[in-house]
Amino acid sequence: MERHFEKEFEELKTTINKMASIVDEQVECSFKDMEDQGARLYKSVKQRDREVDAYDNLVMAQCENLLALYQPVASDLRFILTAIKIDSQLERCGDIAVNIVQRVKRTDNFRDIISQTDLPEMAKSARIMVKDAITAFINRDNALAKTIWVNDDVVDDLNKKIFNQLVEKIKANPDLAEPCAHLIVLARQIERLADHATNISEDVIFMLENEIVTHKKKLEDFHLPE
Amino acid sequence: MEIVEQVKTESIPKNIPMNQDNVKISIQNLSAFFGKTQVLKNISIDISEKKVIAIIGPSGCGKSTFLRSINRMHEVARGTITGKIIFDGEDVMKIDPVFLRRKIGMVFQKPNPFPTMSVFNNVVAGLKLNGFRNRKALKEIVEKTLKQAALWDEVKDMMNKSGANLSGGQQQRLCIARTIAINPEVILMDEPASALDPISTAKIEELIFELKKDYTIIIVTHNMQQAARVSDYTAFFYMGELIEYADTKKMFTSPAKKQTEDYITGRFG
Repeated sequence: MERHFEKEFEELKTTINKMASIVDEQVECSFKDMEDQGARLYKSVKQRDREVDAYDNLVMAQCENLLALYQPVASDLRFILTAIKIDSQLERCGDIAVNIVQRVKRTDNFRDIISQTDLPEMAKSARIMVKDAITAFINRDNALAKTIWVNDDVVDDLNKKIFNQLVEKIKANPDLAEPCAHLIVLARQIERLADHATNISEDVIFMLENEIVTHKKKLEDFHLPE
Repeated sequence: MEIVEQVKTESIPKNIPMNQDNVKISIQNLSAFFGKTQVLKNISIDISEKKVIAIIGPSGCGKSTFLRSINRMHEVARGTITGKIIFDGEDVMKIDPVFLRRKIGMVFQKPNPFPTMSVFNNVVAGLKLNGFRNRKALKEIVEKTLKQAALWDEVKDMMNKSGANLSGGQQQRLCIARTIAINPEVILMDEPASALDPISTAKIEELIFELKKDYTIIIVTHNMQQAARVSDYTAFFYMGELIEYADTKKMFTSPAKKQTEDYITGRFG
């Protein structure tokens, strides 16, 4: 006989996996839209965001239900806590994908600027991070999760580099100030996307290894006051 | 409880040593039997002083037998044991059972106040049984123990009423007061809150927190969350065997054994 908890727990897993798949697709489409002018994926990325928002609410409701009714412990509890955190990360990733296609739309007539910067390389790195983070979560793969945050520094460096590249372009040709400003924000969005992928990978480590690795380096010598 | 120490009975052994290394009770290779049926298999656990130890496991796993072996109640039910239970350095089998049960008190699942006795007499029943009659001292003990049992404010004006008139939660706290009135060092609790409503359960749990300042407590519970809330250490029993014994936080977050994880997450048992 299948127990209520097992049933609801499996439903939560299905919900968050579906949500993760949609977000993964949104991110994929947003970068495709950025790299390929003919792709025109703005509408589809934006439309799917409503689904992501609906899944966001559903995950929260399912987690609340499981916590209130079954008081789970150990790995079950960690999965639910992770689901709550990853749900929020995924929802923001979806928002960023929408933001990326919006910025791309606004700079449609200045596509060549994108290819003159390191934006495609940055997008490629961030894309791999998001994909790996989602795969690590769905496949419960802690080894994969641990490889993700290494790339975060690469993306951060590219963001700084791209900022300088675009500032130089504005200086050289002030008429390009508006599209370049959009692309600076776009780079910042991609950098945030990589941060969310890193956060997801840290949550996966917590879920699988019961170790809180978030802020670990930053808090090495820090203790809260008594 | 100097007053209780003054109680004179011939059965009190004089050679109970002081605690060593913070271990109050050391259980070594304990096996318990009912006739030829073995219900506990080679259990070894050290129980630390002034800590709460929760015993969890499915029905029939030997939790209650384990508890009842510690104060030799198991033999009352014609059970036998092998192995050793060392209480304060002394083999419990060499300690007079009456004295042992005074030092290792017990609270049962169902509140069992003496129905014909007043609240006052319920608390001091054990003392009176041991010949202690000083009315003034008894009054002091009653007030002190009822306060310890977080019941004083609720019953101070009904000392002469029957204990049976109290609510279930109050009756259970009365039983705890009765247990601690005779100055035990260890309190065994066999599902003390399983018959109580949530508010009474919360009061018992708060009480356990308070009591562990003075007593070592071993609690058998089917309520996993209760074990997680009140205990410092948790032991998981299954089919008479000790599967895992660990710090409660570790036990309920990342147990070492799969069987424990399956049990606490409700996948079996």
